[in-house]
Amino acid sequence: MTLTPHGMRFAALFVGAAISGMPALAQEGPIRIGVLEDQSGDFAAATAVKVHAIELATKEINDAGGIAGRPIELVIYDTQSDNRRYQEFMRRVLQQDEVDVVFAGFSSASREAYRPIANQFDGLVFYNNQYEGGVCDDNMIVTGAVPEQQFSTLIPWMMEEFGPNVYTLAADYNFGQISAEWVRQIVAENGGTMVGEEFIPLGVSQFSQTIQNIQESDADFVVTLLVGSAQASYYEQAASADVGLPMASSVNVGQGYEHKRFNPPSLANMFVTTNYIEEIDTPASNDFVERFRAMFPDEPYINQEAANSYIAVNLYKQMVERAGTTDHDAIRAVLGEGDVCFDGPSGNVCLDPQSQHMSHTIYLAKVGDDHSITFPRVWENIEPYWLGDAGCDLTKNDPSAQYTPSNPPPAQ
Amino acid sequence: MSNAPNTPEQISHSSRSTVSTWLARLEGPQTMGRGPAFWVAMAALVLAASCYPAFSDPYTIGNAAYFMVWTFMAMGLGIVWGYCGVLSFGQTAFFGLAGYAYGVVTINVGAAFGLTWLALVLSVAIGGAFALLIGYFMFYGRIKGVFIGIVTLSVTLVLETFMAQTAGPNWRIGDARLNGFNGMSGMPPLTVPWPGGDIVLYSGTALYFVLLAMVVVCYLGLRMLLNAPFGNVLVAIRENPERAEMLGYDIRLYQTLAFGLGGALAALSGTLYTAWGQYITPSSMGLTAAALPIVWVAVGGRRDITATLLGSILVIAGFQTLTIYGSQYALIVMGALLVFTVLVAPDGLIATAMDWIGRTLRRTKR
Amino acid sequence: MDFFHTIFSVMYQFGDAFAFLVISCAGLAVIFGMMGIINLAHGEFIMCGAYVTSAAGRAGLPLPLAILCGALAAAIVGIVVERLVIRHLYQRPLDSIIATWGISLIATQGVLILLGPTMAGVGTPLGSMALGERSYSIYRLVLFATSIGLLGSLYLLFYRTRFGVISRATIQKPAMARALGVDTRRVYGLTFGLGAGLAGLAGGLYAPTMTMVPTMGATFIVESFVTVVVGGADIFVGAAPAAAVLAIIRASLTAWYGHLFGQIGLLVAVIVVIRVMPGGLSGFLKRFQR
Repeated sequence: MTLTPHGMRFAALFVGAAISGMPALAQEGPIRIGVLEDQSGDFAAATAVKVHAIELATKEINDAGGIAGRPIELVIYDTQSDNRRYQEFMRRVLQQDEVDVVFAGFSSASREAYRPIANQFDGLVFYNNQYEGGVCDDNMIVTGAVPEQQFSTLIPWMMEEFGPNVYTLAADYNFGQISAEWVRQIVAENGGTMVGEEFIPLGVSQFSQTIQNIQESDADFVVTLLVGSAQASYYEQAASADVGLPMASSVNVGQGYEHKRFNPPSLANMFVTTNYIEEIDTPASNDFVERFRAMFPDEPYINQEAANSYIAVNLYKQMVERAGTTDHDAIRAVLGEGDVCFDGPSGNVCLDPQSQHMSHTIYLAKVGDDHSITFPRVWENIEPYWLGDAGCDLTKNDPSAQYTPSNPPPAQ
Repeated sequence: MSNAPNTPEQISHSSRSTVSTWLARLEGPQTMGRGPAFWVAMAALVLAASCYPAFSDPYTIGNAAYFMVWTFMAMGLGIVWGYCGVLSFGQTAFFGLAGYAYGVVTINVGAAFGLTWLALVLSVAIGGAFALLIGYFMFYGRIKGVFIGIVTLSVTLVLETFMAQTAGPNWRIGDARLNGFNGMSGMPPLTVPWPGGDIVLYSGTALYFVLLAMVVVCYLGLRMLLNAPFGNVLVAIRENPERAEMLGYDIRLYQTLAFGLGGALAALSGTLYTAWGQYITPSSMGLTAAALPIVWVAVGGRRDITATLLGSILVIAGFQTLTIYGSQYALIVMGALLVFTVLVAPDGLIATAMDWIGRTLRRTKR
Repeated sequence: MDFFHTIFSVMYQFGDAFAFLVISCAGLAVIFGMMGIINLAHGEFIMCGAYVTSAAGRAGLPLPLAILCGALAAAIVGIVVERLVIRHLYQRPLDSIIATWGISLIATQGVLILLGPTMAGVGTPLGSMALGERSYSIYRLVLFATSIGLLGSLYLLFYRTRFGVISRATIQKPAMARALGVDTRRVYGLTFGLGAGLAGLAGGLYAPTMTMVPTMGATFIVESFVTVVVGGADIFVGAAPAAAVLAIIRASLTAWYGHLFGQIGLLVAVIVVIRVMPGGLSGFLKRFQR
């Protein structure tokens, strides 16, 4: 049927009415994303790449038309690895810049510093780092891996491969202590023995005594949960003293790319469970790495936090488009539907509505004698089950707290 | 008002009441700024600060309140270092201790009935008492010079290292978990009991005014104290300790008291910071955190309490602005600023500026 | 035989801690002990030495030569810094804290911007040796030997050479030295350069065993400071015995109770020592000399 001029005017009116009846996204200007990351200071080695990942995702989304037609605008602050900056800038980004969502934090201390402020202003914050688990707070969406995902896969595999005697070397603060608690639990569940546990204060860089203790024990493998550049000196020192035991870690290689920075063979025979590293050889991963390096040719390494940040931007895009608005309650409602998933560089990942954490494909990375990476094992779709099992259900109530295995949510 | 020093006869003269004696001490040899011109300028400044919220947005007001939180620690260090000549790295130890004390008390007893204010007073008292203890240990042990810096730094680092590993569930005082490196949160902000509903002082206009009042009261009080005989003795100790001793003053007592006062002010900052952000962490007692107050006071001006107050606000605000707009070059500019200050204006930028203003005004009078 | 192994292991732990303290504090002891300047940029001179050593090592130089390059580079930077900034601060020790902290900020951030957050290092040479059921890194034994050698060479330098005598004279009585025709400005510059070079040497020696990040100086600074201050003004009578005492405390506490007690124990020991001997160890020991 041909359109007469009269008909065309009527059609235009109809289309116009239809457009104005749509959710009023297109008229509201750019979607603003706040980014608070440590681009200088102690943590810069592992976090500068997160900002690049966010910039890459933003560019790709904007080139494809933005989120429901609205471009993304990034508001980036350098928090200088200082918790006080997180407090100052979270306040600034929520109160003055009035961003729609924030991507913030590397260390758990920084997250705990800004959480009260996010709660006060009802902000929505993505925490894209692995950590010790347990945050049950509906202002937080966590894409980082948690201990039950990394250890329930790693420890039984190591015990089967190398033996039941385990020595833990952990950083002496929340992340290290809680991770060590998980290791203890899983070792006991699998019939193994903890032959030693050592907690190292942050900033210690000389390990001769520790190396001696490990050699004197009967350990079959060492679980290394060392954090920070000072503690990472252990690997070089252990290699030069020829400790010779396989090592298991949830935190090295995947975050601080020690296998690239240290000389072979100091990290040889190390096994790491991570949800992404750039060596993963799947089409999705290779494509991601290619696009990343096209935009940032000098990037030293693309680690799991970078992948998480990239995935997080895309998850946010999906939730906003499904909700039709950037309003936080509407986004949480979409999350609560339970099927917010994304096919990213690491495979298919989904957000869990009860804990607002993310499921992961866990890759077991083995570091060879020349520091090349192979993947003896991959576990698909490992859920962040602990919080939901322990009683945290953000679809029902919001305690805004952090729990640990020895401090679980109160029984309902 | 007479500019003559307070001689013993004047003090004991019955026709001169204690109030006017103390009011006279608002001006004196140990503080810069005297005469009607200065006080009018000060009053105008306070008036402008009070009207400022009407012209600004909630974020900037909250941010300004945040800057004021740190001034007490800076003024405390100004007394200990500028007036008494003792370089102490320990301000952040008292800061952190009081912050944790406030957290523990308020988490356990709650915020009703104005108990948060009681917690504030208690935390300041704890911080001050700890400072007196450390001061006693150091000054009665005849430790001096750079050794005081090392001892106070060691105390601060011991506290930080210890607190950083209190992450386990067994580390609790009552209901309050110390929570190690991740920091303690969940404490209520300062709450004013009010018939219709408690006024909770989150970062915002109400807190701004409370802090402004505190800063003004503290500043005036310190001016009076520093121009009193106590302050004169402190300066005498700074200039020449042996001479002060030979004149009959027990310098250890005065140094300990000054150190305790500085510690109490740092404790006030710590409590207010914890109440402002509902969070306290061991890294507020770390090496960088310990060096920062020294940087503020050095750049602002340490010989004079006014210069310390104004200078530290400007430096803190300046550093934040640099971080926001200077991205990765912020730290380099800060470092350069420090070197520049030391070489060009060793008494502090603000102090030198105030000096210069004073001299220019006097020159134009002739 | 087992007894011998245990003794060796104890001595090894002690020697390791002692070497770390002596090597890292030597530069600071020269600068602070002899010149009264509190150098908060000490960690950054160490970082400079470590970075240059790693770069030289990766470029193909044998390790001892690379370490010397690192020390030299730090010494040159030290002389430049002295000429520009430190020169003006000799009578103002407290101001030197501020200025050197500023320099430290500039250095750390500058290296981060120019060279990135991390740098590839060189591996630890010389492998390991087994003794009983434990194996030891030979390089760390070399470090211990180096620390002894360092103390010996510094002694020879300051007490047996012309430069040493002039340097000590200038620092003790600058006016007298000038009256005798010594160019005091050059002596100060060279002594500061020597201190910076020693810091660079520490960085170079430890570079193969540590991670190369711009903030790596922070791991050395607290311990070097406490060793120097506990030792008091004289590096030989003070800093070396102080390093020995603190090393014993550190090593034994770490062996018996773990790293946390080692860290805290060291700091508490410092507080106690300063309280008991307000002039530091050298002040205490010198009283016996008279």
